Amino acid sequence: MNTKVDNIAPAVKNQFERMIGSGCSFADARFYDEDSSQHIVLYDGNLESNNRGFERGIGVRVLKQGAWGFAATANLTAISACFDRALANAQAAAKLLGFPKDMGPAQPTKGQYRPPVEKDPFEIPLSEKLKFLKDIDTSLRDKTVAQRIVTANFQRRRIYYWNSEGTEIDRWVLNTFGSMMVMSPDKDGRNQRRSVELYSDGTGTRGYEWLTNPDWFAGHAERIKSELSEILAAESLPPGKRDVILLPGQGFLQVHETIGHALELDRILGYELSFAGGSHVRPEMIGTLRYGSEKLNCRAGVVENSAGTFGYDDEGSQQRDFMLIDKGVLVNVLSCRADLAEANAKAGKTVVKESGTAARASAFYRSPIDRMTNINIDPGQDGTLEDIIKDTKDGVVLDVPVSWSIGSNREHFHFGCEIAWEVKDGRRTKVYKNPTYQGHTLEFWGSLDKVGNRSTWRLHQVPNCGKGEPNQIMELGHGIPVMRFRNVQTGEKE
Amino acid sequence: MFEDRLRDLLISGRNQARKKGINAEFSFHREKSSLIRLGNSAVALSTHEELTRLDISVQQGRKVGSSSLTADITSSEQLQATLDQAAENCKAALGKDYEPIFGKVEETVDDSAGFDPELENFSPEAKTDLYAEVVKALKPKGKYDFSGSWSSGSTEMYYITTANDNEAYRRLTDSKFLMVLKEQNRKWELSVERTANKTGTFMADDVIAEFSSLLPIYEKNSGYKTKIGRQRVLFGPQAIAELLMLGIWGGFFGRFWEEKRAYTAKNKFGDKLFDASITITDDPTNPNVFGMPFDFSGKRRRPFVLVEKGLFKGLLYDSMAAAKYKKQPTGHDLSNTDFVLAPGNGPAGLEAGKKLAKNALYIPHLHYTHLPDPTKGMFTGSSRFNAMRLENGEFIAPLFSTRITDTSPSVFNNIVAVSSISVSQNESSTYSRRMPEAMSVPEYMLCDNVRITDVADSF
Repeated sequence: MNTKVDNIAPAVKNQFERMIGSGCSFADARFYDEDSSQHIVLYDGNLESNNRGFERGIGVRVLKQGAWGFAATANLTAISACFDRALANAQAAAKLLGFPKDMGPAQPTKGQYRPPVEKDPFEIPLSEKLKFLKDIDTSLRDKTVAQRIVTANFQRRRIYYWNSEGTEIDRWVLNTFGSMMVMSPDKDGRNQRRSVELYSDGTGTRGYEWLTNPDWFAGHAERIKSELSEILAAESLPPGKRDVILLPGQGFLQVHETIGHALELDRILGYELSFAGGSHVRPEMIGTLRYGSEKLNCRAGVVENSAGTFGYDDEGSQQRDFMLIDKGVLVNVLSCRADLAEANAKAGKTVVKESGTAARASAFYRSPIDRMTNINIDPGQDGTLEDIIKDTKDGVVLDVPVSWSIGSNREHFHFGCEIAWEVKDGRRTKVYKNPTYQGHTLEFWGSLDKVGNRSTWRLHQVPNCGKGEPNQIMELGHGIPVMRFRNVQTGEKE
Repeated sequence: MFEDRLRDLLISGRNQARKKGINAEFSFHREKSSLIRLGNSAVALSTHEELTRLDISVQQGRKVGSSSLTADITSSEQLQATLDQAAENCKAALGKDYEPIFGKVEETVDDSAGFDPELENFSPEAKTDLYAEVVKALKPKGKYDFSGSWSSGSTEMYYITTANDNEAYRRLTDSKFLMVLKEQNRKWELSVERTANKTGTFMADDVIAEFSSLLPIYEKNSGYKTKIGRQRVLFGPQAIAELLMLGIWGGFFGRFWEEKRAYTAKNKFGDKLFDASITITDDPTNPNVFGMPFDFSGKRRRPFVLVEKGLFKGLLYDSMAAAKYKKQPTGHDLSNTDFVLAPGNGPAGLEAGKKLAKNALYIPHLHYTHLPDPTKGMFTGSSRFNAMRLENGEFIAPLFSTRITDTSPSVFNNIVAVSSISVSQNESSTYSRRMPEAMSVPEYMLCDNVRITDVADSF
């Protein structure tokens, strides 16, 4: 059998008819005609990873008697057998049924998505990429630097989506990631590091041209080297309660771990409990829970040059931009179609009206689950970073995570960062090493009292968010301004 | 034995590479995976994947390039295209400043001892039935929701290189069962785990009995909020496996040690690192682990000692770190190791461990751990399932979520007792591919002076 999309599409649609005829209420299929990846790592100038990957196959879901069955295969001549397996899985699942899954009203859609790209990274010769990365590595060399790591990752996917409602989506996904890091032991023998990952102000395109834009990547080599030198000469952050100013390079993870994951509806409903964990949010809290101060405005956003922007999710819903937390009050969550009815039933009222377009799968062989998209904090009215520092009597500015550990319901957290700048009486006074801070989610967001303006807002990507069983690694984004939190526990006592 | 069709295909690829004078390594991975996810006391998802993956690495002098294919690998053309891509990457590569080690299968291995055809085809219905039985027995007894996952399937791994004609093949089955009981209002969570490489190793009655033994403490007592500071902790199997992994990550990787980034960096072999009750090996012959017989540089894996009676004995070198630092590779070009923390002299059984501990925190699971400072072996993580307060050797209350931030050297030096009984702890993952992995750990480990750094008001 010819396995080109022109043949796959009718074969899949025939199976939809067969599945509906077998009593299924819904069926869908994702055909990955191409899932290409490239992974390059320079470690102390040595090319330690130089890999090109290619995946191709199909994943299908059927919904029968309110239960999901999923199956995947790379054998594109066995699509019928793959649907049979999904059907058998759904039938087995239906033997122990809870709240029946329901896709709600049919939403047939036809659409296409192409991310904004000037230069497709897969069209750039490997030698050119290696020269670019090697030049960065060379610029990171310094007598104070013990180890250097420079990486680039590229992904290109051509995904066709069809479902039994008549939806047909044809989309490309293209993601570009880059990172550089310098490390050295300090005088106590403890390893210190400073790094930067490819980021942006949310504008622009997301091809190879993004990586080579010095504003967002290569131009930071000298800065991180210089800051590493400062860290190596610094003392550890003394423990104590003080104000914490998070730069976007740290703020993105704070949002990711204590807002993003906590607002995934599958976690809220208990479907991730045994692996990733639950949420401190319950369905009935949507619309009323005070999640943070009035300064907190958080949205699931659409930012064109972000790995969290994909046009249509993996059940064919067009990605949309909506508020999650409005002036500190939780107003919506990250969801897919099939869980809305259950959330509303459990809340005893309508708390979610439409899909949060967050059904995402990491590969053809994984089933879509609720994932983050671009979980952003809206810029505030409190000026620039310098304005916020000027307003701070006793605090620290923190940047870039080193470690993170979060309670299973996302109710508390502990973060370590690469660098802290002490702020005393409105001025940055010195650098501290080994900064950590910890807190309880609602109390912490309740202490948010300054949010920087648009000039402080930066888009950071997360290339490796893990969730789900079977396990899935997902790419997404966070647009974050500078944020200040009051009276936070910082530093370690020993 | 590996299927003839695929074996012939891969050997023909090796022959093609040899004809062209290309040094190539071929790693093949095939999985048949099934998984049931339980959520809200019902099956939330039932999946099945049949996947084949081919990884080819090409080395010419100091240059290395690789290529991976996840598709229906049936033709020599696909294999050739993947080999060509790897060769092209190698050609464009930057040469390393050291001589890389090229893979070579030390001796032919054909190991299907851990394969059970019944477990490979273990039906989703059978899993659903067992879950249903447990839910039916326990749900009426309280406001409980059940969640969990049950993964089972088979994995085949085959590795050859152009360096010689030897072949390394492994086929095994594995199963990982987890069930979580959550109280709807107070949100405490209990879990039961099982691991197996054959079917029929446990029944619903076992799971019901284990939950039932834990429930009274949680039902009858409110949450215990412990104090911040150093305390005695009785760790259970999952937490011990987590502590073991964190300890190995921070201290025993050759690259990190060479780069002075390991907490053992100032130590030499023979130095005392831990209490004399601590012996750590990577031992594929241990019956509690899945036992990977070779690695993906072709090295035959045999028991490898890291710590013996508290003394520093070994470091893990994959072929890349070994080449760079001019050491011998130790069989660690793989992600699924077989770590073993040897049993101690402590009395057998958790009950005996409780009596010995007297007043302590019982923390059998550590959730979401991380290493804020590997150079000191510092880790952090919080308690989760089945955690309780012990007084006079008896469980008296469930613990609120409790954070530990301590160092591996401190924990492994403050040993009071290590159980003389070992258990298997399943650490398998399915990120990108099925990778069965288990550790053998003592059923309990009692430690003093464990640093508690935060306590929540909830579970």
